[in-house]
Amino acid sequence: MCWHSVHAMLKAEIIKKRRELEIHVALQLGRGESVGLFGASGAGKSTVLACIAGIEEPDDGFVQIGGLKLFPPSLPLHRRPLGYLTQEPGLFPHLSVSKNVSFGIAPASQAEWIATLRERLQLDTIWNAPAALISGGQARRVSLARMLARKPPLVLLDEPFAGLDRQLVRELIDDLVFWSREVGFSMIAVDHQAEVLQRLCPQRAIVLEQGKIVQQGTWEELDRAPSTPLLRSLLAPL
Amino acid sequence: MTAGRRWIRRAGAAIFALALLYPFSAVFAHIGPWQWTPDVRGPALASIRISLLLTGLAMLIIVALGTPVAAYIAGCRRRERLIWQGVLLVPILLPPLALGILMSLAFGPNGSVGAWLQNYGVVMTNSATAFVLTQVYVGMGYYVLGAVAALDSVPASLQKQAALLGLTPRQVFFRVTLPLSQLGLGVALSLAWVRAIGEFGAVVVTAYYPAGMPVQLWVNLETFGLPAVMPLLMVFLAVALPIPWLVHVLAQRSRHA
Repeated sequence: MCWHSVHAMLKAEIIKKRRELEIHVALQLGRGESVGLFGASGAGKSTVLACIAGIEEPDDGFVQIGGLKLFPPSLPLHRRPLGYLTQEPGLFPHLSVSKNVSFGIAPASQAEWIATLRERLQLDTIWNAPAALISGGQARRVSLARMLARKPPLVLLDEPFAGLDRQLVRELIDDLVFWSREVGFSMIAVDHQAEVLQRLCPQRAIVLEQGKIVQQGTWEELDRAPSTPLLRSLLAPL
Repeated sequence: MTAGRRWIRRAGAAIFALALLYPFSAVFAHIGPWQWTPDVRGPALASIRISLLLTGLAMLIIVALGTPVAAYIAGCRRRERLIWQGVLLVPILLPPLALGILMSLAFGPNGSVGAWLQNYGVVMTNSATAFVLTQVYVGMGYYVLGAVAALDSVPASLQKQAALLGLTPRQVFFRVTLPLSQLGLGVALSLAWVRAIGEFGAVVVTAYYPAGMPVQLWVNLETFGLPAVMPLLMVFLAVALPIPWLVHVLAQRSRHA
């Protein structure tokens, strides 16, 4: 499916100056589509995501999801229809795992959905445990379940698998791909590892260098003809 | 570090701690039998009641007014925050007697607010209102500055995550910020409590009547001597120290957990 043909669910133009780096990125994402933002550290990938999420405010540009304008003016975080996952699980340590997962929603209305997430993400054994006492890998599963519990139409992933073992990364990616099909959410993922993004967002990649898009297309296109020496080196096997 | 050297250091720390606690040995000082006659007992019991009741009321006011202020300051940028913190330091740094004199002038019949309140029958000197107001002034800075530090300790990322999960700023405060900072807020409140309930210099000027425990201790000392002071002093220590001490210990334990 060509992403241009899909009715746009996210339209954004992010302009943001960070020290020496001037980020200027225009994005368009279809409903149910996933795209990997790829590039070296410091290219501005996470800032673009943070600007869409509302964690940071762009200096200029616009962000729109569906018909909803997120910027400008900046829409309050609680009214943004999106899920945001970073490498920090951000669990609420004073609550149990179950309370974390159902945080912000009425558990009774979503009981079946939460039970499905609990089973699929293997949270049974820690369901009633305090979030402060679970392992790092378990915390990532819980934060994923918590984000999915709200069924957001757009999911933003900022290196959520950093520091995890390969087996767990594979499982979490498979879970995310599975749920993106089930729920039908769109997804933008940021990572500096091409293999993670290729598995997570196999259809399309956008490459950032020095805050600008230098290439976009399928992973095959990127592999076949990388537009810059840096991209060639990032895609090369170790 | 060798075991021997560690024991020497530990002994040094123990001597230091004993020196700090040494004043408590005065409880066993030979001052004759403690006096608890009716003329001592009546005012002493009244002062306990007044101190607990009015200081409790002052704490309620401090929490009700101080918590939103602390939440506002915690959300301010650095420069604005410095201004507010500077203002809050003033009543803390002011000598208590000076604060008492300033308050009795500002809120007394000659002060504009005092005169205005008197028109409505609110007496701002030597009254329960004056007592509570003085304690609020004395304790507010301690509570708010402590509360700002407690609120600061809650990671902003958690609050933003809660907002992204659909919670309004008010809900984020009550469901995330407040529970995660409650121990720090408890420490701040306990500091305000200790400061307010033990206040003498300011209260003796603004509210000699109704006499709280510190003023009554002074009166007993002047009127009857040390034997009449000791029973009330024991009560004073019992109500002023244990709860704040426990809160601080719990806070330290949780910080190192």
